[in-house]
Amino acid sequence: MAAICRILADKGMRVAPFKSQNMSLNSTVTPRGEEISRAQALQAQACRVEAEARMNPVLLKPKKDDVSQVIVLGRPYQDMKVGQYFGGFTNGQGPDIVRDAFDHLGRRFDAIVIEGAGSPAEINLDDVDLANMRTAELTDAPCILVVNIEWGGAFAYAYGTLMLLSPEQRSRFKGIIINNMRGQASDLQEGIEELERLTGVPVLGVVPHMEHALPEEDSQGLEDRGTGSVKVGVVRLPHISNFTDIDALEMGGGVSVRFIDRPSEVASVDAIVIPGTKSTVDDLHWLRSRGLDRAIVERRGKVPILGICGGYQMLGAQIHDPHGIEGEAAGSHDGLGLLRAASRFDAYEKRTVQVEGTMVGGGEIRGYEIHMGATESEEEPLFILRTKDGTREEGSVSEDGMVMGTYVHGLFDLPSFRNKFLSLAGKGVEDEGAMDHESAVEAALDKVARTVAQHVDVDAIIRIMEEGA
Amino acid sequence: MLCRHFALKGMRTSPFKAQNLSLNSYVTSTGEEIGISQAYQAWACGAEPHWSMNPVLLKPHRGQGMQIVLKGRPLMDAGPGRPVPREVLMDAVREAYGVAAGRSDMVVLEGSGGAAEINLAERDIANMATAEMADAPVVLVGDIERGGVFAGLYGTFMLLPPERRRRVKAFIINRFRGDASILGPGIERLEELTGVPCAGVLPFAQLRMPAEDSLDMGRDRAPMPGSEDVRHVWMESLDELYRRSRDHLDYPLLERVAAGE
Repeated sequence: MAAICRILADKGMRVAPFKSQNMSLNSTVTPRGEEISRAQALQAQACRVEAEARMNPVLLKPKKDDVSQVIVLGRPYQDMKVGQYFGGFTNGQGPDIVRDAFDHLGRRFDAIVIEGAGSPAEINLDDVDLANMRTAELTDAPCILVVNIEWGGAFAYAYGTLMLLSPEQRSRFKGIIINNMRGQASDLQEGIEELERLTGVPVLGVVPHMEHALPEEDSQGLEDRGTGSVKVGVVRLPHISNFTDIDALEMGGGVSVRFIDRPSEVASVDAIVIPGTKSTVDDLHWLRSRGLDRAIVERRGKVPILGICGGYQMLGAQIHDPHGIEGEAAGSHDGLGLLRAASRFDAYEKRTVQVEGTMVGGGEIRGYEIHMGATESEEEPLFILRTKDGTREEGSVSEDGMVMGTYVHGLFDLPSFRNKFLSLAGKGVEDEGAMDHESAVEAALDKVARTVAQHVDVDAIIRIMEEGA
Repeated sequence: MLCRHFALKGMRTSPFKAQNLSLNSYVTSTGEEIGISQAYQAWACGAEPHWSMNPVLLKPHRGQGMQIVLKGRPLMDAGPGRPVPREVLMDAVREAYGVAAGRSDMVVLEGSGGAAEINLAERDIANMATAEMADAPVVLVGDIERGGVFAGLYGTFMLLPPERRRRVKAFIINRFRGDASILGPGIERLEELTGVPCAGVLPFAQLRMPAEDSLDMGRDRAPMPGSEDVRHVWMESLDELYRRSRDHLDYPLLERVAAGE
């Protein structure tokens, strides 16, 4: 998707990405302070345009099994159960929100590339779908079916998807792309011919599997990465959010990132990151239930311990949730007590803002905040952020400098904080690349765009877009 | 899970996977190399891992080549320009199945990849070709976590030629998170379209399991307490999973399917 965006942008088109509904815990903040999925922000970057909430008008952030926080046009809207969302929202206000956002973009751009969610043939959700065929119908868009061959059964998925759609829906499909092929595309030739014969829809290309530096989209991407000697342990919280924060850590080499969930693992790493979470209190209980709390406290002063967002809240002495906004039960909870700080959830409000400033001690930082609740700290601040009216202190750092907490996501993207953190990891690793994460992403976007353009009939895609449904 | 079910009913049960593509392997007591999943399945059957449970093991290495392990022993490195004759593999599969069937009352066969890889239909040994060789009924299992489970099941069923389609006696939907009642309309429609019953929806479960294949590397795993024997922990968690699965799977239906009814 990002590749197609970049290819079209490179052809001089003004392109915007669009995903009516995204379910993801990896979100980011637009320059206007709206929260959208990171995937759409990346796609906007691929289009070389500024990200805005209309590109992802509905964002679902799963909290507990059946409840999601629904973000509409970049602002928290309501927590809904699955049953309330499907049918209630998707057949109620949802379609208008989607159509208005799309129309607004449509007036300003030459082309809009829409991404579905899950599968277009979830036949159990036919009547309540918003993200897939419903969006295609609302926008009268032609469709291309992309199937991932890595999981096996790609032909069956493609055929089954098209055949389960109604004839009107099926007629929107003008092409099929097979993605993520390892090995030789020529092995697929017979299958492709058979698929084209059976469905009457042409296969526009087979995209090879690519290793690239683009951020992960969902929690299936929680893989250990890097092979360097400095081991950074990221606590694998059950509701882990914004784990893309750590993508930048292993860029310079010398670092390996491990997702850890056992006390013995906590004891063996050179640095600890407690990442963001969608459910701070639940995950704090989880931490305790596994003895990870004691294991982390045990390492105080020996290795750097960084809490980001929900992880920051956990590092403090207390978490007050008098109205049960964060967790199910109202009340106060003891944190890990590694920072003299307390967090409060007083209202159903979310702070979403892009920030920039300097580290205390020098060095530029840049990132964004997405959180409910606020933290008051008696510790020294970690960052001095620039605001419209001056500056603001953010985050906490313990007296010995080894325990740090902050609400700033993306803080490793620029080398200054990354280097500081890694130098505390004891082995004095210097980030060799000292490369800006942003330029690495740019390079990766160009690379995937080149690869896709080589293997997919781009002219056919443009023709399909021009001809419409 | 099916292995455990039949073993607990007192049947001598053996797992069988004609061809496994994996870098995770196990060595049997007699020194043959098989996929680690078949070793665990053997333990679930209360049996010792045996070469006949996985006669063809493909171990990909760098580039596009792979080592072919045949009947537990390395045969050759295959790659572009160095194909393995299908008959050699199929002979090994036939022989191994004969051995496995001779040692047990029940053999539970597992496929590999999609059952309807139409680009490979002629060359397939792992899926329907094995089912035909063993004249086995087939249960199609769809993983719902990746989306499109109905499309995958329906497409697989429809892309099989009619004589192979007749072997499919039930569907199972695996790894579902949330309230299964939301799937109701989809299951009904699938049963209506195919005439094949759904034998259940299995909830997503955290198991201390060996990764079945390389895609599993990063998935959630449940904790491994203390320094206990992994195999022991795994068996306990399998039994727990099996116990819970009885609320979700129609075992009587699966038994009838296995009995060829």
